[in-house]
Amino acid sequence: MRRRNDVLVVDDDLDMVEVMELVLKDAGYPTRTALNGQQALDAVAQAMPALILLDMLMPVMNGWEFARAFRAQYGREIPIVVATAAEHVHSRGDAVDAAGVLPKPFEVSDLLRLVARYVPSPHAAPSY
Amino acid sequence: MDPTALPDLTHRAYSAHRIAATVSAVFATAGLAWVFLTDVILYQLIRDRVLIARVETAKGWIFITLATLLLYAVTFRSSARLDRVRRLTTAAVESIGDGVLLLGHNRAVAYANPAAVRLLHCPREELIGMGAPEFSRRFRVSYPNGALVPPEQFASQRVYDEGGPLRYKAVMHPPGGDALVISVTAAGVRLQVGEPATWVVSVMHDITAADRLERMRDQFFAAAAHSLKTPVAIIKADVQALFPAVTPEDTRVAASIARQCDRIDRMVQNLLVLSRAHAETLQLHPSAMELRPLIERISGESTWSHRHDLHTEVTGRLPVRGDPERLALAIRNLLYEACRLSPADSRLTLMARPEGDRVAVGVRYQALPWHDDVGETYGEYDDIGIGRTVAQTIAEGHGGSLTNEDAGPERTSWLRLPSDAGAHA
Repeated sequence: MRRRNDVLVVDDDLDMVEVMELVLKDAGYPTRTALNGQQALDAVAQAMPALILLDMLMPVMNGWEFARAFRAQYGREIPIVVATAAEHVHSRGDAVDAAGVLPKPFEVSDLLRLVARYVPSPHAAPSY
Repeated sequence: MDPTALPDLTHRAYSAHRIAATVSAVFATAGLAWVFLTDVILYQLIRDRVLIARVETAKGWIFITLATLLLYAVTFRSSARLDRVRRLTTAAVESIGDGVLLLGHNRAVAYANPAAVRLLHCPREELIGMGAPEFSRRFRVSYPNGALVPPEQFASQRVYDEGGPLRYKAVMHPPGGDALVISVTAAGVRLQVGEPATWVVSVMHDITAADRLERMRDQFFAAAAHSLKTPVAIIKADVQALFPAVTPEDTRVAASIARQCDRIDRMVQNLLVLSRAHAETLQLHPSAMELRPLIERISGESTWSHRHDLHTEVTGRLPVRGDPERLALAIRNLLYEACRLSPADSRLTLMARPEGDRVAVGVRYQALPWHDDVGETYGEYDDIGIGRTVAQTIAEGHGGSLTNEDAGPERTSWLRLPSDAGAHA
């Protein structure tokens, strides 16, 4: 399996995907995006990311289904961080054995701090 | 007697002994008076012994006739009154729209009104004599979370021992009917105050439709909250993404937008919690946690230091069993209240410390003077009022409390939670 030191952002809201991609790329993190769990599985099949930022409520394949399929196929090595606007974000994170949670709305600095925990920072990130 | 007139059911009830004694006393007095007075008159008017004997016989017959008539009148009146009350009581219970079960001293159903028969889809003859275990098997009585209610935990059974009235919400599955959500109120019937209940009246109020509406409202609020939070999250992230490349004035505007996003987010969460609290569907997801990181994270948020001088004082270990999301909301609500009710640039202090078997989180601020109480100036349903109600709800949901402490111009809102220190000792 080919590996990349990038972040895979999985969210069905295009604006959310774009702003997360903008912030992460601005901070120097290579970033790929997927609009649902199925697209995320396709992206993972091409190359394994260093971190997956996962929304839960998505069409086609939701976050729970993606996490189940991903863990079954690739195990628990790659961390998943649940990023959701839903209630009880910690319970939702526990449900998919997430490495972390990011409640929406979030501080960009929190997003970068969380990503930096799992992905080596390529250069000094801008201060938010 | 007007057959449609409602008998006075509220007057003080006399005991049967007292009524019988009164009637007997009146009868004895009237009888003695009759015998004495008529004898006096008789012996003054008549001297002939034969005539006296005949008149005395007639007097006796008259006495018996009058006594019989009086006895008939008294008995008829009492019986008619008792019968009317009995028929009225029966008619009233039979016409009650809620299901009514009367349980006897053997804790089994002794009576079921027509509404109970309709509600349970069960003939009255089958209900009569039914005990709690059979009732449980037959109607699968469960809590709203789906867990079966043990028969001994039925309100109608507990009330015999615990007193009452007891009330709870349950779901029942009558055979051949749809699931019913009912509110059950069970009350003991006691002949004397303080005695154990001889009978129990259990009233089953069908709240299926209201419960469905509550669930719809809950789903609506949850969906609306999620839908609102997503655009707020995007706006906030977009604005923050602009930070490094804009002028100081733009930075100020961007920071203001980010703060308002946080405010909208907090209001959405508050409305969701408030709605669920009113519907009694609020659920907490507690876990063992240390409050210090949460306090430090919240105190680091830029919202609070925008117009105030925020200090944080955290001492000791602060282990609690809490829902981090809800506790964070409660603490942010108290900080927001302090920001709104204190002068700009004044000092705010966010404190946290162990207090015996409690953990106390306090927000101290310099309270602005108000002509009226804050509660009147800020209504229950503005953002401060809702925030405080939600903070109190969350505190009480954790077994804690929310209080205010005033010392001169300073006010401190104290959120106290049970310490979880024992669990980790």
